[in-house]
Amino acid sequence: MSPTDTIIKEILIHAPAERIFDALTDPQQRVRWWGVKGRFQAEYMESDLRPKGAWLMRGMGMDGKPFTLRGEYRSIERPQLLEFTLLHSWQENASPTLVRFELNEKDGSTMVRLIHSGLVTEESRRSFQGWPWLLEQLHTYIEAVPAKSETAE
Amino acid sequence: MASDRLSITFAALADPTRRAILACLASGKASVTELAEPFQMSMPAISKHLKVLERAGLITRGRKAQWRPCQLKAASLKEATDWIEYYRRFWDENLLNLKCYTEENL
Repeated sequence: MSPTDTIIKEILIHAPAERIFDALTDPQQRVRWWGVKGRFQAEYMESDLRPKGAWLMRGMGMDGKPFTLRGEYRSIERPQLLEFTLLHSWQENASPTLVRFELNEKDGSTMVRLIHSGLVTEESRRSFQGWPWLLEQLHTYIEAVPAKSETAE
Repeated sequence: MASDRLSITFAALADPTRRAILACLASGKASVTELAEPFQMSMPAISKHLKVLERAGLITRGRKAQWRPCQLKAASLKEATDWIEYYRRFWDENLLNLKCYTEENL
């Protein structure tokens, strides 16, 4: 696993690890926070919470196109570790990526560490040609207020 | 109104041919002829797509009828296929959502 194909993020949350673990694993809760404002919204999730259990999430993208995310649980150690694979519906033939949440609680606050790996494979590069850039550009474009685009001649 | 802009832009991007045209522009092709070539489409058909993209503010025509993507702030076109960048930003927002959600009602 090369360093460039893994995302590592940390965030301190002022809540106990149990609460966060529930938010991550309870389907009713998951759909309430998972999503990107203005881009897509999770609507439905089913989850078989056990090693090798499957999970599936459906939602609606901004363009009106539905999406499905699915995967399989790898490690479940309440409340400090959750690991699952993740695959988008439009990633048909790609290998699944791996999402790992490490929860470290201290004095009522929890340091949440997110590790997302397996992102860069030749297949995924090919499948996503241009599309994520377009989503990003769209996002930045919409934020950029001025109606006239700036061009250099 | 931001939401109208969004609809127009998404409608422009909803078409796979137009997305591919944008990708071609990102790789340096610029004239209508060059853009039409990979699709084996007629000039009028390609021009129609180009007009939709132009109206959505995604491309602009320079001198000599050369098309180019509009200058948008941030991300360089070289990062166009960087899936990781997408996920980085996705997680930034998603983790904030998780934080807000779990911290409330405590």
